[in-house]
Amino acid sequence: MSLAPDAFAYVAELVARRAGINLDAGKEYLVESRLQPLAQRAGHTRVDTYVRELRTGEREADVRAVVDALTTNETSFFRDGAPFRALAEHVVPALRGADGTLPRLRVWSAACSTGQEPYSIAMTLADAVPDTAVEIVATDINATVLDRASQGVYSRLETNRGLPTPMLVRHFEADGTGWRVRDHLRRQVTFLRHNLLDAPPFGGGFDVVFLRNVLIYFDLPVKQAVLDRVLAAMRPGGFLVLGAAETTIGLDDGWERVPVERGAVYRAAAVPSLLTPTLRSFAPAPIAPLGVVPSARVAAVPLSDSVRGESR
Amino acid sequence: MRALVVDDSRTMRRIVANVLEGLGFSTTQAADGQEALDALQQEGAVDLVTVDWNMPVMDGLELVTHVRKNREWRGVTLMMVTTEAEQSQIVRALAAGAHEYLIKPFTAEELRAKLDLLGLVPVEETA
Amino acid sequence: MSTDVATDQVLLIARDVFASMIDGEDGHLNAWEGETPAVEEPVHAWVDLFGELSGRAVLTTATATAHDLARALLGLPADEEVSHEDLVDAFGELANVVGGNIKALMPDAAKLGLPAVADTVPLLEGALRVQELALSWRGRPIVVELWVLLTGGGQ
Repeated sequence: MSLAPDAFAYVAELVARRAGINLDAGKEYLVESRLQPLAQRAGHTRVDTYVRELRTGEREADVRAVVDALTTNETSFFRDGAPFRALAEHVVPALRGADGTLPRLRVWSAACSTGQEPYSIAMTLADAVPDTAVEIVATDINATVLDRASQGVYSRLETNRGLPTPMLVRHFEADGTGWRVRDHLRRQVTFLRHNLLDAPPFGGGFDVVFLRNVLIYFDLPVKQAVLDRVLAAMRPGGFLVLGAAETTIGLDDGWERVPVERGAVYRAAAVPSLLTPTLRSFAPAPIAPLGVVPSARVAAVPLSDSVRGESR
Repeated sequence: MRALVVDDSRTMRRIVANVLEGLGFSTTQAADGQEALDALQQEGAVDLVTVDWNMPVMDGLELVTHVRKNREWRGVTLMMVTTEAEQSQIVRALAAGAHEYLIKPFTAEELRAKLDLLGLVPVEETA
Repeated sequence: MSTDVATDQVLLIARDVFASMIDGEDGHLNAWEGETPAVEEPVHAWVDLFGELSGRAVLTTATATAHDLARALLGLPADEEVSHEDLVDAFGELANVVGGNIKALMPDAAKLGLPAVADTVPLLEGALRVQELALSWRGRPIVVELWVLLTGGGQ
């Protein structure tokens, strides 16, 4: 059952306008599969009819749901492995001061999805530099995944993938049959809803930015604009970590490739005077206002629902 | 690569052995810790031992302790495969020397992911 | 003493066990709709729990269903016969895994006994049934029960 061209075009335009994501021809299957559950919940057997209904009403909640469904990304703990090793073995030593200390570290995990990436960063740094004051800002355009992320609770299945058991017991606490990130690590992470097309609302000065597997969704002008904003949000000499197959081909020489095993790591030019990021003009249509999701620091830990056994 | 599957349930041994064989391991089985030690002594070290916890004669924790004491078996990877799911039990097993821990029930994919972490899955080149 | 094991937690455990070990996918194990059904020609598999809190987790299903469960666990084709030994081992292991996961939710239950399989479950003196969950596996009933001994100490 393939998606009608006008339905696809409508959704593609919506997602481009709201999230800067470029769904070109060939991505119909993606739209179909991502919107299928939404269509079903709304009582439609075909995504086409669901989209038609959406077009006539264009209710904000429905539009957001569609954008969310198409911006959700698969993630897992220590995904790809190498970037986290690079963080501990290369990035951290390079950021130490002349006296060898590293009193604080500010990291941005962009497009953090359900939170496994920022927590993996927190775990890596907790083990590598336990005395460093770590601040991680984790952002995503999708409020649903952020809500999950801020809870810091993961199922057994989620923790069985990519997370060595010694790390699990060190950094998590059992929560029913699942696991919850320990409080002192959760406190290091602030979750915020943020659109990469906007200027970072939370100040800059990041030492490290993780921007993995997001740029692939953007076409070149958007990619460049996003990278310019990221560069502006970083301290000179800060590090950018991209997805395994991503590079900054076609972008200006504000970046220098760092040779690490199987990692796409780049360093922002160290000398501040050479840093003149040109915020390329990018004129998107007005973007929906974004809110702030309560951070992990303030989210209450949900108590598991339990029914006291009673004698009958 | 060779694996020894240790569990007092024949059903469980079959399930684990099937998954491991699907990943390219050749497998042998033992029904308790003592049988496992005997097998290691007779047939030499293997790459991986999957260890159930609760078994008669010698339980999994004791088996792990014995294996880790033996220098000849230093290269053997020990993975608990057990219903013991409490955090305190996991900590005990790791302290005794187990390298990894898989709680039953598990899918073939989860077992594979654990082996991947340990570097025990033959690298597949996918296009 | 409370057990603090909710019905939906037991359902989650059962779903996990069946999806991972029996069906290879989600969706075939659900809560039974309506009253707990009577099970024809029942066979039971159980494990005892010991510790500050003692008890027993019991699985009950029709004999034919138990055979099919064993076939699924052992990877046997639909028409292959299951020996009594294999049935006891497989159905028992199912109770072991379900019981083990239930035990993990009960901080006062420390140890799990070996599984047993029979057509009747011996009485556990002084125990009260604190949980009864009827499940449907591909339309066939499976009942999970949790019994707890209110006086402390094991057998």
